[in-house]
Amino acid sequence: MLSRVADSLYWMSRYMERCDGMLRMLKINYAASQDDIQEFSWIPALKLLTYANEAEATALAKNSRDVLLYIVIGKENSNSVLNIATKARENGRSVQDHITKEMWQCLNDFYHMMREERVIQWLQKEDPITILDILLKQCLLYFGTTDVTMARGESHAFISMGKFLERGVQTADILDVKFSALGGEYEKAADAAYWKYLLLSISGLELYLKTYRGGFEAMNVVEQSVMNGNFPRSILYSVKNFKQYFERLNSEKNYKSYNEVGFMIGKLESKIKFTTTQTIVNEGLSKFLQEIKTDLLAIGNALNKNYFAYS
Amino acid sequence: MHTSELLHKYHVDPNTWDEMYRNEAVREQYQGVVNFLQQLSVDELNKKEELAKRLFMSQGITFTVYSSGEGVEKIFPFDIIPRIITGAEWDHIEKGIKQRLKALNLFLKDVYHNQFILKDGVVPVDMVYSCPHYLRVMQNFPVPYDIYVHISGIDLIRNNDGSFYILEDNLRTPSGVSYMLENREITKRIFPDLIPSNNVRSVTEYPNILHKNLVSLSPRQISNPTIVLLTPGLYNSAYFEHTTLARLMGVELVEGRDLVVDNHKVFMKTTTGLQQVDVIYRRVDDDFLDPLIFNTGSLLGVAGIMNAYRKGNVAIVNAVGNGVADDKAIYSYVPAMIRYYLNEEPILKNVPTYQLANKEEREYVFGNINNMVVKKTNESGGYGMLMGHAAGEEEIENYKKEILKDPRQFIAQPTISLSSSPCYMNGALTPRRVDLRPYALCGPGGIEIVPGGLTRVALREGSLVVNSSQGGGSKDTWVLAV
Repeated sequence: MLSRVADSLYWMSRYMERCDGMLRMLKINYAASQDDIQEFSWIPALKLLTYANEAEATALAKNSRDVLLYIVIGKENSNSVLNIATKARENGRSVQDHITKEMWQCLNDFYHMMREERVIQWLQKEDPITILDILLKQCLLYFGTTDVTMARGESHAFISMGKFLERGVQTADILDVKFSALGGEYEKAADAAYWKYLLLSISGLELYLKTYRGGFEAMNVVEQSVMNGNFPRSILYSVKNFKQYFERLNSEKNYKSYNEVGFMIGKLESKIKFTTTQTIVNEGLSKFLQEIKTDLLAIGNALNKNYFAYS
Repeated sequence: MHTSELLHKYHVDPNTWDEMYRNEAVREQYQGVVNFLQQLSVDELNKKEELAKRLFMSQGITFTVYSSGEGVEKIFPFDIIPRIITGAEWDHIEKGIKQRLKALNLFLKDVYHNQFILKDGVVPVDMVYSCPHYLRVMQNFPVPYDIYVHISGIDLIRNNDGSFYILEDNLRTPSGVSYMLENREITKRIFPDLIPSNNVRSVTEYPNILHKNLVSLSPRQISNPTIVLLTPGLYNSAYFEHTTLARLMGVELVEGRDLVVDNHKVFMKTTTGLQQVDVIYRRVDDDFLDPLIFNTGSLLGVAGIMNAYRKGNVAIVNAVGNGVADDKAIYSYVPAMIRYYLNEEPILKNVPTYQLANKEEREYVFGNINNMVVKKTNESGGYGMLMGHAAGEEEIENYKKEILKDPRQFIAQPTISLSSSPCYMNGALTPRRVDLRPYALCGPGGIEIVPGGLTRVALREGSLVVNSSQGGGSKDTWVLAV
């Protein structure tokens, strides 16, 4: 496969995963903002999803509608869902002959949907959840179409790697922002709503309730979202799946590249697998999450160097 | 809808051949479609038009117009009523195009080798050497199987007596074939069952024939040669066509930056290292193909590709240097070429063409400029034309000055009235002018033409310009089996 094509497939997939994650986050954050029991702030979400500085974030955070408009369709916001969706589609457009026609139509429809007038209407005046749900459904349609129509070859491997790398980074980011907002005193957030909304934003509340009895505890939240290999948004799950698809790239022609990247992935997987929540907390959760993020990004860079570079 | 309602706006210009109407009656080939349309209400027809637009949009068959800093995506206008060609008409067209292509191929081989036709004075020597598309780098280079024109899109029009004329030979990188294929797919969706019930011949073989021809050109005698389609990239207006063809043939779509030349061989950069390329179907113009030989500033091509080509390590389709044969000034010599090389009479006629480099012809054209169309010999896409019947006096005077600066770069043709064909507009059928571009494929096994082509239509009332850059649209083109 052409290096340029692999690169575009990988980024198309990363951007779509990011759109999905962002919309999910926004939906839950908006719901939380309507819940008057807790003190809700948009600032963590703005820090996570945009490049806005402290002053800009504080100004924006006063009004939920402004935040939604800025993050979903803000043209000047280079990380808005609209701009990310455009990038996903541009990447898809340049590799139309490597994805299925159904997938391309799905990407294309998503892009056109993002630009419809009604998106602004709903975000600004009516119920934002309705329109966020419509957009999320289109994302799900893309994931489903990819799953059902793509042949399990090299293209699919790069698409899946992009998806799981992005997802791992996202979960690490969300945990980092949410926990650092507490300043290390995890017991301070005795308020159940705080954890409930955190879990909801990574679709993990139901699993949590089934796994853990006796209410919300910071340690359990960390355990589920970092090390539960059956939870599809956990970091371990993302890394394991990333590794599985990466292993398909093994061939005699590129064993050097393969070994280099393979080593990094194996090391990261072990780091997550063979630790305990107690160790993580003792050594500092924030430090641990930073390390994971650094490792994930280093893997991304190694892929770029070994598989995508065409200069 | 009643016939009269559907056709009440259909006023055929008396000096024009109409594809549907003759002597106030519907021609036989259109009977099936007209009967079908009568069963639909205006509402239903509008819905079908809407559906067609939506299908184009959602498939991303669009081009981008940039205004006020923001890209707006538009679809190429598509008219839902098919243009219909009878089996007998098609046979004539097919024979004529095959004959013409055969002669043009021989001409290209000749001008780049022995130049018999120049020595015998059939085509003037200065006509060839003054053509900017005559490339000395191609001299005495034997292209594989002596085929220069693997893919052509020759434009045909129909005069008021109904006979077909050749308007232009497009022998470099003709575009539009994806619209032939997509328009048919759209028709299948908006008019279910209509195609089989009218005995319309299929066009779907096109990518298979092209792929077969490309494989057969591979310089390496291996079972699975690497074939690539070289595109200028995402922002080219024909990008959609490039991806469609690559997908339909299952070949790799590459950009110049994906290729590299090493030891006179072309390779593509893949995730598992370099892979040798055997055949390149390029949609990049000659000028941009190799910065070492042509335009040094071009990033679209590949440095060293011409040397690999001349060494015979890679096949390039279409051959380089074809522009000398579809030059609009050379065009007028094609009938002479057919007689010279094949000893046959041309089956399809040329439009009479005046060379403005020739003083007498120039004076005649200037005297009758209101009935002339003046074109630049090396422009395409409908740019740089003067339509004498529609131009103002000042425009004509300015254009004349342009001509006198370098008369070799201009030709003139009498205004030909293109035939008209029904289009669906505002709830009724209206006649609009059309041309026809069939796509001929030439491989070692001979010339094949899929029954169909691209019908371009001038959507503005009375307009004779069908180019998409000038407000033209397209139609599905049916060739009937009987």
